[in-house]
Amino acid sequence: MDFSLSKEQQLIQRAAQEYAEKFIEPISQQIDEENQVPDEILKGLGELDMFGIPYDDEYGGAGAGYASYVLAMEQIGKASSGVAMIISAHTLGLGAINAFGTEEQKKKYMTKGCKGEHIVSFAFTEPGTGSDPKQITTTAVREGDYFILNGTKRFISNAGFPGPVVVFARETENGKISAFIVEKFCEGYSVSEPWKKGGMHGGPLLDIYLKDVKVPAENMLAPSGMGYQVLQFGISFGKVGVCSTALGGVLAAMEESFKYAREKTHRDAPIAKFQAVQLKLAQIAELYEACKWMTYRLGWLADRVKDPVQFAKDAALTKDYVCQQLVEITSLAVSVHGSYGLMRDYKVERLWRDSIVGLQIEGVSDMQKMIVAGVMLGSK
Amino acid sequence: MNIVVAMKQIPDLQQIRIRNRQPLFDDVPLTLGTIDKNALEAAVVLKEADESIKVTVLSAGNEEVEDTIKEALAAGADEAFLILDDALEGADSAAIAAVLAAAIKQMDGVDLILFGEGSGDNYSGQVGSRVAELLNLPQVGYVSSMEIKGGQAVVTRTLEDCDEVMEIALPGIISVMAGLNEPRIPSVTQILKAGKKPKEVLELDEVDVDIKKLAFTETISNLAPESNRKKIVVKSVDELLQGLRSENLIGR
Ligand SMILES: Cc1cc2nc3c(=O)[nH]c(=O)nc-3n(C[C@H](O)[C@H](O)[C@H](O)COP(=O)(O)OP(=O)(O)OC[C@H]3O[C@@H](n4cnc5c(N)ncnc54)[C@H](O)[C@@H]3O)c2cc1C
Repeated sequence: MDFSLSKEQQLIQRAAQEYAEKFIEPISQQIDEENQVPDEILKGLGELDMFGIPYDDEYGGAGAGYASYVLAMEQIGKASSGVAMIISAHTLGLGAINAFGTEEQKKKYMTKGCKGEHIVSFAFTEPGTGSDPKQITTTAVREGDYFILNGTKRFISNAGFPGPVVVFARETENGKISAFIVEKFCEGYSVSEPWKKGGMHGGPLLDIYLKDVKVPAENMLAPSGMGYQVLQFGISFGKVGVCSTALGGVLAAMEESFKYAREKTHRDAPIAKFQAVQLKLAQIAELYEACKWMTYRLGWLADRVKDPVQFAKDAALTKDYVCQQLVEITSLAVSVHGSYGLMRDYKVERLWRDSIVGLQIEGVSDMQKMIVAGVMLGSK
Repeated sequence: MNIVVAMKQIPDLQQIRIRNRQPLFDDVPLTLGTIDKNALEAAVVLKEADESIKVTVLSAGNEEVEDTIKEALAAGADEAFLILDDALEGADSAAIAAVLAAAIKQMDGVDLILFGEGSGDNYSGQVGSRVAELLNLPQVGYVSSMEIKGGQAVVTRTLEDCDEVMEIALPGIISVMAGLNEPRIPSVTQILKAGKKPKEVLELDEVDVDIKKLAFTETISNLAPESNRKKIVVKSVDELLQGLRSENLIGR
């Protein structure tokens, strides 16, 4: 067993850290307040290949695998969960195309995505369903060499950026769910205003309206009726990004707490002198360590998936655990800060608001547990 | 045109912890000198403007340099020339300069050799000048900007109270200052390509150098001077101003 990082991994981690500290951290409060990530930031991250870390260079990727993706995302997420969320949701969509796309689809739709010139989306949720894929109502009607898509997709990350979106719809011909690669802003594609969400500001969330969107039949992702598999397997890879983003939040909360405990004084000595504060700091440190190694391991596993079902279980339990701990840790971090921790002037206030989001996305916490138990009991 | 950039392996200073006023080096990742990175960036900028330029990074040190040097190759160096020997670990500026000078003699057609003004750890600031002496080459230091024009380098030296513009014949040696540029952050692709770039690795006995002893000087400790804080507590801004005035720290 080897827990050390290769030189390349260290350098990737440092590159992301340097970029995040120099360019993202100084405007992270602005991103939070304006709920918008400046284009230069996305461009800069694209130039460093941060939009295509895991994928083969054949498709424009950097070829560094998910293990390195995790290291970079932790650093980006530490500075701004909104920025990390853009990359995470993008990688969810791109990962599905990578896993299920034909050679032509990958060449056509991944190259610009890996360079960050396109930002990819993955559209499953609808106003009527989030956790239950069987309830999908978006329809795909076959007309010769095309499918005609109609429906509404809710809470879709990155829906307002140009690039491909993987859309899940029910084929009227056979009643089965299939996945399609749709080019955003094609004829019949429109979006809502961005949702004003509670945390992870900057990561844009919009509804998508599909009105008679004409999709070439060759844009079907995986064979007809495989939509559920694309969703489950794709989302397992997506969870690697959700965990890493959450891990960045954990790291930030830990650093902020230690810093504050050393700086804030009570009767001329830092509050770190109090055992009660030390216990909180120690708990945060313990949980960070657990979250870190679970997330790093998930990245490592994602690079060598043999059994998709087992991987789905590992992704579900890691995502659920790390996202739960993020809520716990940011709340401990606020306690270390006292009332100051509730003020916008302190980073932990934002970390705390951001923390609740992870549990609700890419499958709510309860659904993750159902996957874990289901796989382990052998019923799935 | 061949540019050689000499870079020193140092511990990542941001990750060193201090215990009992002694630095702890265990598990501290290795990196390259901060000003050396400015020197490399300067070379890579020249190369981007002129494709005929080749940038070789030169380093002498222990076996770990072979891994550490990937950082320079990721940041734009074309190839590496390394003299690796664990015996070089505690070598002083004189010995390192002798090794580097001998290595440069073994390289083909070197036109410009760049150094950082001082290393990131000890900052003796001697190596560039010593190599110039050993190779009998012209040298300028404290360079804050430079360009190549008609076969020579035109540089600006930033001194305490003036900027001096100089021409230097090539081959020559330039030591640069930190403010010269902002070293780039390497992309993930560049990082992964770094390990595949050409590398020439020599052992100490493969360079033509005769050093009697690797270190005639030894750094015993390297600490910030102890400062005594006055720990004066003030109750108002007025009192603070008064205090600062009485110490002559602000004007009256
Ligand atoms: C920041 C953010 C980004 C998002 N990005 C995307 C995106 O890019 N693409 C996308 O498609 N969606 C996206 N979503 C939507 C998100 O994935 C869904 O909201 C999520 O899957 C939950 O669905 P829901 O809100 O409909 O909740 P519901 O499914 O209605 O669940 C509500 C509650 O009911 C319980 N529940 C539901 N079904 C069951 C069951 N079968 N058994 C037991 N309990 C159950 C759950 O435990 C949960 O507590 C995003 C959401 C957010 C907040």
